[in-house]
Amino acid sequence: MSDPRTTVTTPGLLAEGTHDPGTPPAGIKRAPTGVDHLATEHLVINMGPQHPSTHGVLRLLIEVDGEEVVTVEVSVGYLHRGIEKLAEHRRFNAIGTLMDRGDYVSGIHGETAVALAVERLMEIEVPRKAQWLRSLAAELNRIASHLVWFGTFGLDTGGMGQFLYAMRDREAILDILEAITGQRMMFNYARPGGVVADLPVGIDEKIRAFCDTFDTYLDEHHALLGGNEIFQGRVKGIGIIDAEKAFAFGLTGANLRGAGVDFDVRKKRPYDAYPELDWEVPLGSAGDAWDRYMVRMGEMRQSARMIRQLIDGIPEGEHTAKVPKVLRPPAGEIYACVESSRGETGIHLVTDGGDTPYRMHYRAPSIFALQAVEDIVPGHLIADTVMMVGSTDVMLGETDR
Amino acid sequence: MALDRLTGDNSIVFIRSEQLFDIARTNSLWYMAFGIACCAIEGLMSASGPRFDFDRMGVFFRNSPRQADVMIVAGTVNLKMAETVRRLYEQMPEPRWVVAMGACASTGGPFREYPNVVMGVDKVVPVDVYIPGCPPRPESVQYAFLELRKKIRAKTEDRLAARRQK
Amino acid sequence: MRPDARSSRAVLKRAGVPADFETLALGEVARVPAADVIAALKALKDSGYESLIDFDGIDTGDDITLTWRLRSYSADRETYVRTSVAYGAEIASVWNVYPSALMPERETAELFGMRLAGHPNPKRLLTTDGVPPLLLKEVPIRTEEEVKAR
Repeated sequence: MSDPRTTVTTPGLLAEGTHDPGTPPAGIKRAPTGVDHLATEHLVINMGPQHPSTHGVLRLLIEVDGEEVVTVEVSVGYLHRGIEKLAEHRRFNAIGTLMDRGDYVSGIHGETAVALAVERLMEIEVPRKAQWLRSLAAELNRIASHLVWFGTFGLDTGGMGQFLYAMRDREAILDILEAITGQRMMFNYARPGGVVADLPVGIDEKIRAFCDTFDTYLDEHHALLGGNEIFQGRVKGIGIIDAEKAFAFGLTGANLRGAGVDFDVRKKRPYDAYPELDWEVPLGSAGDAWDRYMVRMGEMRQSARMIRQLIDGIPEGEHTAKVPKVLRPPAGEIYACVESSRGETGIHLVTDGGDTPYRMHYRAPSIFALQAVEDIVPGHLIADTVMMVGSTDVMLGETDR
Repeated sequence: MALDRLTGDNSIVFIRSEQLFDIARTNSLWYMAFGIACCAIEGLMSASGPRFDFDRMGVFFRNSPRQADVMIVAGTVNLKMAETVRRLYEQMPEPRWVVAMGACASTGGPFREYPNVVMGVDKVVPVDVYIPGCPPRPESVQYAFLELRKKIRAKTEDRLAARRQK
Repeated sequence: MRPDARSSRAVLKRAGVPADFETLALGEVARVPAADVIAALKALKDSGYESLIDFDGIDTGDDITLTWRLRSYSADRETYVRTSVAYGAEIASVWNVYPSALMPERETAELFGMRLAGHPNPKRLLTTDGVPPLLLKEVPIRTEEEVKAR
């Protein structure tokens, strides 16, 4: 006995294009509605800037046909606060305070980019210890940033538990970073010439203790979120960015490596202590959201591996080079890039010999990731939109600058 | 205010309705999950995380402005954002309170010189509590909620005192 | 298999694009006339520079200098293309060659007060109507008095 709700009484009614309604009798506009008369209207949905799943003040204008996304327009600028313009009015060792607030979850990378640019222009020799301290802070910060991404990415799928565990581990890192730099988020630690302070006494024990527990915790995190079948069902095969598309949209970082492209600034354009460390670059293959998830989880593991080497092998010496209080780099132009938590953060610095930059351009990886979002979302269901935005790990502070 | 600690079993409490509502309100200040910038990580995410755990004070986040009592303006408000902030404020049911978190929301902070930045969210919505810091620690946000409680209760006390004098 | 990216000097010479070359601390920079930018970028893309990594403008005081930073992942090298345009000029969008220029172009056009030609969505990106082009040197930031008088 077949289900009457799914039984087609008139053959061909449900088959698209085969149903001919015929000429209606006089006085009736058209024949009783058949399935192919039920045209769906396109509807524009506004998502953001206040939305829990947009990771900041991102606004998406989504045109949907039923539940399927037809087009999406990314609207940014709700956090445009002029980091590039204000940097033209700041001295070189004060730009770090602005850069911290650009990519505010992993501030140390932006600072390092500025410091590297100024050092290369002025040809300052940075002490080896300063380079190691910078890398140490950067890798700690990378884990903290990825944990925020991990927690909120899970929130987008409806999970709450992994957020609490991720925040627990993040607090442990922030305690260490606070002891090293003096602040929880806005470090202003890496300055042109080195770092602002030496390691406090006894911090290496804390860092070792953290590293010992973190590997186990990371397995737990992965089991909690990545081992969940619902989560896998929602991210596998979603939002595929292959290598061609990643090149076309200028993606960097985990979004590029998720497509299997082996490019990490730390390996290919080495800076600080990275050439001396032993680590691997995690790579994906298909370039879907699951691959990007796995790459970031792998990066956290590699960061922990690097931190262990860094804390064991910190060289003796000064933590900063002898630099004048007011830096006046010679007139010139330089581009310095670092691998931040989100991709390649670059600083294009133009100087005219004065004590402030003539122009500073901040290359933010997130703005390129958002262009890819505009391209990959159409064709997916509306519920998958948040998954794709989450999997690219965009940060609106650096998008708008 | 734990009433059961002040009173014994089977006791009858006389209280003015305004004060009763105040007790209810001040112990369930739900804030809107509306992070603008850096402060959102400290004031909204760390705050609901396991270490600071604002839930135990009855402070909990709601995703919709229509269910929220408090708006924490956590970040720099610029000209494009100002309209949205005002609209969200108007969507919140009364009584409603605003906490300006951090230097940016209070005065414009490190970005105050940029012509696109609004110098303090008090130019857009009325602010009840300002929190200094860039960004303030989550403890400061907890303190701000305690101050907000005092402020809410003091308002009723003042009104009652004025009525008594009449 | 993509051809390995070579020096922009050889590529642009073969493509017949007029260009001046200089080697700065920045790297290898090819300065081309504004009208030939698309031809130059197309030639460089065909020769293996797969990705446009960055695009920005500089207000030099006489004109606006636009810089494109290209990267070849296969050959692991980078090159720069540069041109100068007048204030308020119309710049041709290169998104047909490099789609990653879509948003940076909108941003640069908006903050330097230029117009975009051939762009699918030439709206403002970051600010609202009525905000002046903020990255121009002639647009000042707020003074200390203004800030104090808040």
